Amino acid sequence: MAAHASAAVNEELNYLNWQKGIWSWLTSTDHKRICFLYLFTILLFFLAGGVAALLVRTELAFAGPTIITDPHTYNVLFTMHGVFMIFLFVVPGIPATLGNFLIPLMIGAKDVAFPRLNLLSYYVYVVGALIGAVAMFNPIDTGWTFYAPYSTTTGTSVSLMVFAAFVLGFSSILTGLNFIVTIHQLRAPGMTWMRLPVFIWASYATAVIQTVATPVVGMTLLLIIAERWFGAGIFDPSKGGDPVLMEHLFWFYSHPVVYIMVLPAFGVVGEIIPVFSRKPLFGYKLVVISSMAIAGVGFIVWAHHMFVAGISDFSAKFFSIVTFLVAIPTAIKVFNWVSTMYKGSISFKTPMLYAMAFVFLFMVAGTTGIYLAMLGVDVYYHDTYFVVAHFHYTIQGGAVIGLIAALHFWFPKMTGKMYNETVSKFAFAALFFGFNLTFIPQFMLGMDGMPRRYYDYPAEYQTLHTISTIGAYLNGFGYTFALANLLYTALFGKVKAPRNPYNSHGLEWQTQSPPIHENFAEIPVVTEEPYNYGTPTGRGH
Amino acid sequence: MSAVAHPIVDHNVPPGEPPHIHHMDTPTAYGAAKLGMWLFLGTEILLFAVLFCSFAVMRYYHLAEFHDASKHLNLWAGGFNTVILLISSFTAAVAVTKAQKGDNAGVVKNFGISIVSGFIFLLVKGYEYSEKAHHGMFPFVWNSDFYHYKNFLGLYFCMSGLHALHVVIGMGLLYWYGVRPAMNNRFSGKYYTPVELGALYWHLVDLIWIYLFPLLYLVG
Amino acid sequence: MLGLLGQQGSDFAHKVDYAHDVVTILSVICTVAIVGVMLYFAVIYRQRDGKDHETPRIEGNNTLEIIWTVFPTLVCIWVAWLGYDSFVALRTPPANAMEINVTGRKWAWDFTYKNGKKTTGELVVPVDEPVKLVMTAKDVLHSFFVPVMRTKADVIPGRYTYEWFRPIQTGDFQVFCTEYCGNEHSKMLARLKVLPKAEFERWLADDSEARKLASLKPSDRGKELYVSKQCVTCHSLDGSQRVGPSWLKIFGKEGKLADGSTYKVDENYIRESILQPQAKVVQGYPAMGMPSYQGQLSDDDITGLIEFMKTLDGTQKVEVAPALPKKSAASTAGMTPAERGKALVNDAGNMCATCHSIDGSAMVGPSFKGLYGRKEKISDGSEVTVDDAYIKESIYKPAAKIVQGYGPVMPAMYEGKLSDQDVADITEYLKTLK
Repeated sequence: MAAHASAAVNEELNYLNWQKGIWSWLTSTDHKRICFLYLFTILLFFLAGGVAALLVRTELAFAGPTIITDPHTYNVLFTMHGVFMIFLFVVPGIPATLGNFLIPLMIGAKDVAFPRLNLLSYYVYVVGALIGAVAMFNPIDTGWTFYAPYSTTTGTSVSLMVFAAFVLGFSSILTGLNFIVTIHQLRAPGMTWMRLPVFIWASYATAVIQTVATPVVGMTLLLIIAERWFGAGIFDPSKGGDPVLMEHLFWFYSHPVVYIMVLPAFGVVGEIIPVFSRKPLFGYKLVVISSMAIAGVGFIVWAHHMFVAGISDFSAKFFSIVTFLVAIPTAIKVFNWVSTMYKGSISFKTPMLYAMAFVFLFMVAGTTGIYLAMLGVDVYYHDTYFVVAHFHYTIQGGAVIGLIAALHFWFPKMTGKMYNETVSKFAFAALFFGFNLTFIPQFMLGMDGMPRRYYDYPAEYQTLHTISTIGAYLNGFGYTFALANLLYTALFGKVKAPRNPYNSHGLEWQTQSPPIHENFAEIPVVTEEPYNYGTPTGRGH
Repeated sequence: MSAVAHPIVDHNVPPGEPPHIHHMDTPTAYGAAKLGMWLFLGTEILLFAVLFCSFAVMRYYHLAEFHDASKHLNLWAGGFNTVILLISSFTAAVAVTKAQKGDNAGVVKNFGISIVSGFIFLLVKGYEYSEKAHHGMFPFVWNSDFYHYKNFLGLYFCMSGLHALHVVIGMGLLYWYGVRPAMNNRFSGKYYTPVELGALYWHLVDLIWIYLFPLLYLVG
Repeated sequence: MLGLLGQQGSDFAHKVDYAHDVVTILSVICTVAIVGVMLYFAVIYRQRDGKDHETPRIEGNNTLEIIWTVFPTLVCIWVAWLGYDSFVALRTPPANAMEINVTGRKWAWDFTYKNGKKTTGELVVPVDEPVKLVMTAKDVLHSFFVPVMRTKADVIPGRYTYEWFRPIQTGDFQVFCTEYCGNEHSKMLARLKVLPKAEFERWLADDSEARKLASLKPSDRGKELYVSKQCVTCHSLDGSQRVGPSWLKIFGKEGKLADGSTYKVDENYIRESILQPQAKVVQGYPAMGMPSYQGQLSDDDITGLIEFMKTLDGTQKVEVAPALPKKSAASTAGMTPAERGKALVNDAGNMCATCHSIDGSAMVGPSFKGLYGRKEKISDGSEVTVDDAYIKESIYKPAAKIVQGYGPVMPAMYEGKLSDQDVADITEYLKTLK
């Protein structure tokens, strides 16, 4: 891809060791170090949110009170699970970690456009997280959706928590803004828009959504505080406000936020499959167009979360039809990934397994999404376990699996070590089967009409709930195992990673592993399309 | 807050020269800073868009109350503030021209006028608020005669309060990124990015008020 | 066909299920095909010797890409139409549909029929007749979901939403609240009872009480509402102090409001106070003490209440039927003391929940959450520990020791109404609310 960088550098000196001490990490403006700051923080919340999820699942394993004796604690736990996972883990997720690490490397830049702003974004995130942690002393019980007037009247510390979410949103905006400017301004010579890797395109689309959608939810959250503090009368119907307006404003952000989570994962899969198939990404242009189309159309479909929420039938029909428009670019992407494998030379390293699992999980997520876009069927499924299972397939099966895949794929570049392939494949298997075992029963529960956010349920739902809980433990075990494997090999691993272990054409693989402080000893000049694998005359098998 | 990514008062850099940025060249840095600022202004507008949208919805539900309540706002104070902000925006624009010509004293003078205008704006705003509080048209001290105006006034305080916060931030930016470095003769035809960005931000503050004033004081 | 959604209870359920069947079959075919092709490629193009082999540089294929853009578009149009079609059926009640008013509140469903008959937690409808539910909520968002009818709609305070269905078979069916509404969300259930038409008519007509209300003269209607709408909880008729002002000689009364301005009780003041209780609060009373009755009282009801108040001029003693205590219908046999205590607290007749929350939020009175064992400062400045004796005293003689920050507003009506055993059970229940 590139007329590779000069090799005349000291291979021993890299971004991990050129400055030493914890302080040099906490104050570093190096995008690669900031990636690690984010990574450790968000994984802490992944752990906390995961524990909350397992407590919820344990409570639901059997009908009647199981380990949690009062519904309030249960409500707090599922709220905590949602708030932590959404605002503190998945939204920063891939963009703030791998986006940070990879965007400058992949476009041939020394850093992001505003390195100090990048570090500031991280600390804004930390402040938001700390405020959220303080709010946990009187933990909120509203669900992560903060619907009024429940959120404007409940006695728990909603103001503090929504303020935390506002601050976190601010961090997200600054990150998105930074990435947009970086991609516009800092591409290496020869790196034209149509030579950008699909991960960059996905990150670009994500950054646009972050910048456009997040201010809207930020203001909405502030209005909840205004409502609670001095009864501004905007969302609370007892004061003349309109709770449905709050839902509109909330989903104007919170639908696109799904694409903030999952678009980068699309990008990751688009990077992994060509490398391990030794084939160019099939229909690169269409994949790029579909990423941008998803980002665009994603802004006009928000009210499909509100088909039964009291919006007019006309609005419901409009939003149903535009929602189907999202299905088309999504389907295109899947077709293109699979076609990339045609006549390839496929090796099954762990990242490839995750990528293939992603295709399956995302097919399930996408097709079940079709049910929910269909008006008449959504009326039945709205706020049931079917929806719960659907969005876990999207967000966990999509965004989180994408993140884990990416961590494996770029692990050699990030740490300069190789992870243990056998252990990671075993963890993958546990995680994959656990995940499906958790959520397939939940689809069935939804078909039977089981509503979500229920502390207790009629006894006939018990069998499926029990199976789901067993799956959840297996799933949690898989994640723990996979991440522990990465952490262990990063710290104590003996196998040094070569510069380009997968023989990839990506620009990030042309510099040393791990890269030097400013990435490239000499800014590379790009002369090729991103996925020029194979030979023009090659015939395959 | 600011999208300016480089130190403004860097004593290693001779006056009038752009600061050295290790990871990009000067024209790129200028372009990046400007693009970043425009994007940031876009997010600010979206922030206020929520309030405008809520205003439209609430006005639809409470048309008569909105109409009556807006008559209770002090039209003269609001009008005066509009003029003040327009003047300040003009001087902010002049400051950019001065910076491009390397006239650092001109930057100090014109940004100074903008900052003082900001102060006057806040004083008048504070007077309006205290007047409202005095008449019981204020959160926590509602007079029951005006309680049915709470939807309008709630939005009025949210919108004008958030705008006032932006005025304060804008004043800080003008001082920190404009006046202070200008006193060190930092700006020249080669380097005036912070002045331009500060002025852009200040124009946004002005622009939002240009929409708030008729909406709150005139249309109601 | 597939019957994945279970029993069909309404005449449009088959439309929803048909759409569901079609999309299920399409989804399974697509998923199996795509994943099948992927696995097929994975197997036949795998590296058998762990080495990279020569591959062709295939960058795309316009024909294929056009096909898989157009094909999903066509499929989407079809399924969108199916969803649309079933939705139209769900949202188009026939003009002759029988309307039933539904009110959602934390945490129960109230149903009101056109003839004034009211039920709670049980919706009774005739088979084969279209029923339209006109719904609103008292406090927060709820959602009325009848799985077997395939219909659902959010229930929103301050506005009306609707849903309808035509039951095609008799029986008892489950109703869920599907919009999260707080602690007892999962207990906010109701039963849908579909009866044969004649039986339904008999059930509906058996409603001497409500019919009586309509036939009463306005002041007597107000008197009935005074009890049934629970005004009695907070407003006495004999001048004694409760949460709100007594209604004795209230009409024409003048005084000061919380903000210092004056008021005079006339028809419009009463109407406003019923519909917007926070607008003009009399000095010395809690600002948020009274819920709005907007949407719950008709104009005739309000007129009735006003006329009733006018009769309370002190010239004759007015007595009403005791505001309950009707014993809770549910049997308390076999319950633990704490469970009995919980039932007593939640019993509408005792009305504890009107003023005391169990989730920690302060209402008119202190929340029950974490109350037991806590040290409280009382109004004379001294400190008491909330123990069995204090609770008993507070229930029987509420004015004796009032926690700082709360008013002397709890009615002294429980002595004689709650037995010592009842109080002991309630105490046990409070101990569980940590």
